[in-house]
Amino acid sequence: MSAKVAVLVFPGTNSETETVRICRDVGLDAESVHWSNAGHLPNYAAYVLPGGFAYEDRIRAGAISAHDPMMDYVIEAAEEGKLVLGICNGAQILLEAGLVPGTAAVRKPTAAFTRNAPSGKFICKHVHIKLAMDPARCPITAALPNNALIPAWAAHGEGRLAAAPERLDEIAAEYLAFVYAHGDGTVDDAAIPNGSALGCAGLTNKKGNVLAIMPHPERDAWNFNHPDLTARDREGTNILAPSGGAALFRAFAKALQ
Amino acid sequence: MALRPDELRRIAEGLGREPTTVELHAFDAQWSEHCSYKSSRHLLKQLPAKGPNVVLGPGEDAGILHLGEHNGERYGVVIAHESHNHPSQVVPFEGAATGVGGIVRDVLCMGAEVIALADCLRFGRVEDPNSHQRYVAQQVVDGIAAYGNAIGVPNIAGDVYFDEGFNDNCLVNVIALGLVKEDEIIHSRAPKNSAGWDIVLVGKATDASGFGGASFSSLTLEEENQEANKSAVQVPDPFLKNVIMRATYRVFEHLREKKITAGFKDLGAGGIMGCTAELCASGGYGAIIDLDDVNVAVENLPPEVIAVGETQERLCWILPGDVTLDVLRIYNEEFSLPEIARGARAVVIGAVQSDKRYVMRHGSEIVMDVPIDFLTGAISNEREVKTCHPEPRARARESKGARAAPTARDEGLREVMSRLDTCSREPLYKEYDAVVRGTTVIPRGHADAGVIAPVPGALFGIALSVAGNVAEAVRKVVAVGARPLGLTDCLNFGNPNNEEHYAQLAHAVSELAAEAKHFGLPFVSGNVSLYNESSSGTAIPSSPIIGCVGVIGDLRKVVTMGFKQPESGLYFIGPSGIGALLQAIGDELVLSASAVGPDGLLAAAAKMAFAANNDFGVKFTDAQPADEELAGWLIEAGDSSAFELLAGKKLRREGWRRVGVTTVADIEGRVDISADGSSWDLDDLHAAWSKPLAEIYA
Repeated sequence: MSAKVAVLVFPGTNSETETVRICRDVGLDAESVHWSNAGHLPNYAAYVLPGGFAYEDRIRAGAISAHDPMMDYVIEAAEEGKLVLGICNGAQILLEAGLVPGTAAVRKPTAAFTRNAPSGKFICKHVHIKLAMDPARCPITAALPNNALIPAWAAHGEGRLAAAPERLDEIAAEYLAFVYAHGDGTVDDAAIPNGSALGCAGLTNKKGNVLAIMPHPERDAWNFNHPDLTARDREGTNILAPSGGAALFRAFAKALQ
Repeated sequence: MALRPDELRRIAEGLGREPTTVELHAFDAQWSEHCSYKSSRHLLKQLPAKGPNVVLGPGEDAGILHLGEHNGERYGVVIAHESHNHPSQVVPFEGAATGVGGIVRDVLCMGAEVIALADCLRFGRVEDPNSHQRYVAQQVVDGIAAYGNAIGVPNIAGDVYFDEGFNDNCLVNVIALGLVKEDEIIHSRAPKNSAGWDIVLVGKATDASGFGGASFSSLTLEEENQEANKSAVQVPDPFLKNVIMRATYRVFEHLREKKITAGFKDLGAGGIMGCTAELCASGGYGAIIDLDDVNVAVENLPPEVIAVGETQERLCWILPGDVTLDVLRIYNEEFSLPEIARGARAVVIGAVQSDKRYVMRHGSEIVMDVPIDFLTGAISNEREVKTCHPEPRARARESKGARAAPTARDEGLREVMSRLDTCSREPLYKEYDAVVRGTTVIPRGHADAGVIAPVPGALFGIALSVAGNVAEAVRKVVAVGARPLGLTDCLNFGNPNNEEHYAQLAHAVSELAAEAKHFGLPFVSGNVSLYNESSSGTAIPSSPIIGCVGVIGDLRKVVTMGFKQPESGLYFIGPSGIGALLQAIGDELVLSASAVGPDGLLAAAAKMAFAANNDFGVKFTDAQPADEELAGWLIEAGDSSAFELLAGKKLRREGWRRVGVTTVADIEGRVDISADGSSWDLDDLHAAWSKPLAEIYA
């Protein structure tokens, strides 16, 4: 039997449906768990925090949600070593909850995803993210190849990693999971859509059981999401099959086997 | 107040007494153009509304077209179209955001899941960085983005044009699509045998915002009243709406489990009064409403404000008593509305009555008691249609976007590409979330129409396009390989009491009707926005805005606009080639396609090259279409001989021709478009095309 995965729904979450769908399509027993059912959360093997604007992004994206009672369970689960994946708003919440990079006490964030630069505006743009660590560093990425390149959509107003310079050094050395890259895998400033420090698109924690990624691989996760690719490039002719960004969820599923 | 003296007299005669304050405000809202379509209703009858694809035609909050079947279920696509022009001119961010909020409710209240948005914008000249119209153009986009992004509905189509005629009146039209199983549609009326059922108000606490909104949008904007007008604009709350939408999906589920037929409608113009009166009247009932039971944001609101104020984010259910408690629990406890926004909740405010009176109580007083059909019934202002000049036929088609523009033959292609009406829209739409829900197949910028795969596991897709006329909207949908299903319209015009403006409206409607009939397509929903003129009497350019929905039977065959390979034959197909083009796409003979508009063939080719990152250029061998051929498609054929064979069979000789071939970079890495001995570097064209709006939406 596949592992039970909770996709958390905070007030203001908006990406739970497709997140549950891709998890199921790669074989996970996933379901959304609503804030009024927070008490059920201990029953799950792993947690996904999906995208959205939980609590309206008041103060800073993720800042209020980090104090939602649901996060008490997630923090406890993370400390037990259960897998936690945050995407976009979910990633922002994990940073604000101090779970990644996790270099200080819980709910004492040491880094944050802040307002995009230079525009300061929401941006919706197709991107690629490139694995910037040893895949085995993090169970969720362990099944990915070295330098794995994953297509995704950046769709956020606050995706620029910011931290004190010494914290950034720490992150660069130990916690940087994904960086923005071009489609051919090259990495440069032009590939960064939001001014993120270190070109950071994703972070992990010390144990590697918590992964926070800013762009959405689940929005480029089926063949029909990238119709311009030929049948050969898009993993067969079944237009409904998972592909592209699904690679990350397949690796997640593998880690839960 | 917008009621005219003769209307006031009719009210007093109809009631047999002078109306109360609440009644006066109720009639003012209900008889406004916004609610009653009094100047346009008889005109709109000309628009074709029937057809084999029509599941639900005009008359409720949204229309529904048959989309396809999957696993034995019939699916319909819900479409609604609305303007929020006046509010967006006065407070552009909030005005545009509430426009999105309103259209989403129109779709939601049909029992549908909201699956896509589109926006059609017309702004004044924005070159001057200090101009109000530039501020409007920026804030409107920010407002649409803020709302649509937060509720999690992808924005997949749209257009924007600039003209000094919109300096004092911008146009903000929004379209929303929904998905519904055809046997689960919920209607905007009190169901059969619903006498005594509860009237349940859901959403934001009623406040004084949006008081007088319906009649405000039925007046012209007077500069000196700007401050007063601001209070007629509602305050959007997309965060609350996000939760209300999800709670409502849960209520749909519950009602299906209980096999309950309920009535459901959103609160728009005329607030609680407008919504509950229309719900009950269209079911053949009356209603009694207790204004004291309405959840209010501030104490001591006058009854007329509670009754007709247009506070956003509210919906209304008609429910049998034994289900009411379940629904209240879903909204108030499971989705904890009162904790999401101060005072928000679901609450019983009245009951359906078998006598056909509309009654409102406030404190110990009856503040309104009128025959419901008199309140909601049509009042019509039929006017004699004056001949419109010049050339009404051209004029109706002429809304921005289809205006005869100089082509590359008259000015350099680079100049054409950098015109405000031609240049890249990406700086604007990149603020909109195009991919939330994970169903987006083609976002904006990759084809003429947006495409989504709405039903998990189903092979069919929905295409959505917008344009200033029917033919262009249809061509855009066909360009992705979709079969057009139906249309929606928003008629944006000046003051109908001005004979010339009224004549323009009348002629535009008959043109639209003729065009729709030509394509065999129904209009299933629409909206009318009149009085788009400033105090100086300057009206906007006549602007019908059309949305077209199409279906793609097999998503594997969807076609984008980016060139796919070098050495492909390029063909121009004339406007009568819909059937041939759809067959060629079905036979997988078309690698890329785009509608050719008034900018001409070269500009269409440049955009197709941009969509493929300038990997391929074009060598035109025949780029000189006759002017009447400017409408059609430019397509890239994978197998030229197979395509020519099909085209030869399906099309008249003058209906298509080979115009060129795709190319790759030359030895110096230069990719260009060449025609008639001239050539343009694509990188240079792309830079010129990208720049104008990037400066405005930096």
